[in-house]
Amino acid sequence: MDILIIVVFVAGYVLIALEHPIKINKTATAILTGVVCWTLFVFMEPGPLLSDSKAFKDFQDVLSIERTPEDVAAAPADELHKEFVVYELNEHLASIAQILFFLLGAMTIVELVDAHRGFRYITDRIRTRNPRTLLWIVCFVTFFLSAILDNLTTSIVMVSLIRKLISDKETRLTFAGMIVIAANAGGAWTPIGDVTTTMLWIGGQVSTAAIITSLFIPSMICLLIPVLFLGFRLKGKTLEVAEPVHTATDVKGGRLMLFLGIGALVSVPVFKTLTHLPPYLGMLCGLGILWVVSEVMHSGLDDIAKKNYTVAGALSRVDVPSVLFFLGILLAVGSLESMQLLNEFAAFLDRAIGDQRIIITLIGVLSAVVDNVPLVAASMGMYSVDTYPMDHMIWEYLAYCAGTGGSILIIGSAAGVAVMGMEKVDFIWYLKRISLLALMGYLGGALAYVLI
Amino acid sequence: MELLIVAVFVAGYILIALEHPIRINKTATALLTGVICWTIFILSGPTESLLHSTEYSDLAESLSHGSSGATGDMEVHREYVIHSLREHLAEIAEILFFLIGAMTIVELVDSHRGFKFITDRIRTTNARTLLWVICWVTFILSAILDNLTTTIVMVSLTRKLVPNRDTRLFFAGLIVVAANAGGAWSPIGDVTTTMLWIGGQITAVSIVKSLIIPSIVCMLIPLLVLSFTMKGTLGEGKAPGSDEKAPPTANLMLAVGVSALVSVPIFKTLTHLPPYLGMMLGLSVLWVVSEFANRDLDDSQKGHFTAIHALSRIDMPSVLFFLGILLAVASLQSMHLLQDFAIYLNDTIGDNRVIITLIGMLSAIVDNVPLVAASMGMYSMDIYPTDHLIWEYLAYCAGTGGSLLVIGSAAGVAAMGMEKIDFIWYVKRITLLAAVGYFAGAATYLFLTHQ
Repeated sequence: MDILIIVVFVAGYVLIALEHPIKINKTATAILTGVVCWTLFVFMEPGPLLSDSKAFKDFQDVLSIERTPEDVAAAPADELHKEFVVYELNEHLASIAQILFFLLGAMTIVELVDAHRGFRYITDRIRTRNPRTLLWIVCFVTFFLSAILDNLTTSIVMVSLIRKLISDKETRLTFAGMIVIAANAGGAWTPIGDVTTTMLWIGGQVSTAAIITSLFIPSMICLLIPVLFLGFRLKGKTLEVAEPVHTATDVKGGRLMLFLGIGALVSVPVFKTLTHLPPYLGMLCGLGILWVVSEVMHSGLDDIAKKNYTVAGALSRVDVPSVLFFLGILLAVGSLESMQLLNEFAAFLDRAIGDQRIIITLIGVLSAVVDNVPLVAASMGMYSVDTYPMDHMIWEYLAYCAGTGGSILIIGSAAGVAVMGMEKVDFIWYLKRISLLALMGYLGGALAYVLI
Repeated sequence: MELLIVAVFVAGYILIALEHPIRINKTATALLTGVICWTIFILSGPTESLLHSTEYSDLAESLSHGSSGATGDMEVHREYVIHSLREHLAEIAEILFFLIGAMTIVELVDSHRGFKFITDRIRTTNARTLLWVICWVTFILSAILDNLTTTIVMVSLTRKLVPNRDTRLFFAGLIVVAANAGGAWSPIGDVTTTMLWIGGQITAVSIVKSLIIPSIVCMLIPLLVLSFTMKGTLGEGKAPGSDEKAPPTANLMLAVGVSALVSVPIFKTLTHLPPYLGMMLGLSVLWVVSEFANRDLDDSQKGHFTAIHALSRIDMPSVLFFLGILLAVASLQSMHLLQDFAIYLNDTIGDNRVIITLIGMLSAIVDNVPLVAASMGMYSMDIYPTDHLIWEYLAYCAGTGGSLLVIGSAAGVAAMGMEKIDFIWYVKRITLLAAVGYFAGAATYLFLTHQ
């Protein structure tokens, strides 16, 4: 039965990777995989791997407090197994829901600021014609913006900016590639910048202050190496710049929404530190405040004109399919974890490779091919918080590797896929021009982290 | 500190009820109320009634045994709050993902015009016959679909069939009554019954058995009364179904969608896994089917028929509203305030059946989801086991009581929006009928269970 579930999981993963050729949306596959894995799990005969595990013993202890130890001892094995599966599923759902509601809140806040054209207050300030200066500015703005916003939005905002500033296609593609690297590097070092770092933060594997102090320099190096190299290549060129066009008119309250939105996002870690409540509550609080402000601000408009600028409008543009994709794939990974297969796999990797730093570096490289969210979820299941406490090196290094490794291929990160869609960046072009730079940056940053 | 949280909760509730006059969306208020309640709860110390509860002392004991070394009063309190928030979040997430799945399935069938298959079959022009047909179709449809969608589908049908506006308003009013009555008796028909089913308070087979007759009575009495006053034929309406052509995949999507919804209880019975997983399974199967069925269309034509598009049209603000309001109710429950309130109600009123009948009537004014969540917190499963009378009766009352006012249920609000039904018109013409139906159904249920 273990084998069957692994086969289903791998098959699901292959179908997700082949999303475009087979024309089946990856969300549908991910949900299906998650549900089928749990269904098989509930029907399987528990083997010694499971019934001797710590998780199963803990479950029996919990049950013994609720009922009596005699009741638990007398319960038939398959009843107990079913209850164990439902109990584990419930635990996973609580962790997954925290991540998903966090993401939903964050995406809605960003969407709302964008609907008010709030990001123009940042992008309108960039006017230089010198390509080298422009490269540095664009990369650093992307780096810091993506530390606050998600990588996807950051790359969309920045790529639409360079579209207005750079008319030469080849130069623009190079800039787009650098935006991908900068967005991924910038997301890795803050708890709110990137899904994988957020997962580790919500799960209690890393803390805000520690992750920032230890990953800021490595992430910076990961970006600096490619920027320095490209800077030389761009030397002496000038840009034929079209006058920055104001395609859209300003929206009332754009600046206010930008400040409030960023304020809401940045205060989520503060909220957690002050109240000890989970981060998604802080995010929902921020969303509630922004929602009220936007309603009050536009109360003069009639309902139809208002629709665009309210949270209801923003929610209809939020990427719910991605949220459901995460639900499906995290449920699937959760089933492997509850079956103790991930523990086993970690033990196997330890025997076969040995050094965890090498394993995690490879996980980072792997994240360029497969989605980094399930990879990090699997790693969180592989290594126990009891053995590796909060802010242990492996968690921080994992945050760095899973966050930045995706830049090595254009399909390796959400930022890359967005840029590919917007600028029609070719997979092979990226491989030839950017991958090597990204790899050098990735390894340089990794080295910096390990040395520090 | 308890008083402060209760004050915040009540203030939030008032702002939610005043959504339209103050022009602040109720979801924003609900989210803020939920977060503020939990924040006050964790920052204040444990209250007296909490300290004496078994959950609290169990946790304190297991912490002192554990390695975490959390022994200070404040630390134990913090652990308790975070622990119970986590438990509540899992329960809430089960409900919300169930709803997201169900809404997406219905939306996907609707975007393929799947419901035309049903509505196109209704062609009578006799007013009385049409009223009967429409009420029964609404009743059965809303047992499978959510009440909101059923109402929208059926009201748009009457728009085509009933040209006279006054008559149409009566139809719309009865559609609201029928949709609420039809939702109450099936575990997938209505949010409140679904909540009780997901929470394990009721089981699929027994809720259907005990509530189907009371729900029919609840609809039948208003229907009988109205059909005496309604005579003659309706004028020529627009011929139904001529305006929009359904795509060839419409019937396939309807069949797969309805089977997906109906098999959710079967999935739960077979696997013992929670219902939201069954719903997600149904959604992913329907999703794959829709991708295959629309394979030949190019991307621009396909856009309208994809699940992605359906997901962008589902009512996410409502989902977040439920998240906020259920979190707020959960905070009251974790503080043991709801249990204390239940004891108080028992002392002053006494009979549970009277209390629940009142809860049903109250649900015409305030949202029934938090009411049911609060009742689930008030009464413990240890004393009232699965399928106990109070849970079934609660499912009936909370499901159908909302028909008493047009603002009392999602179906009513939708009908109000579509047909511009006036609040006062509904009070004068429908409320009495709905109330007679509500009490007759309630009496039927109590009579049947006494046998």
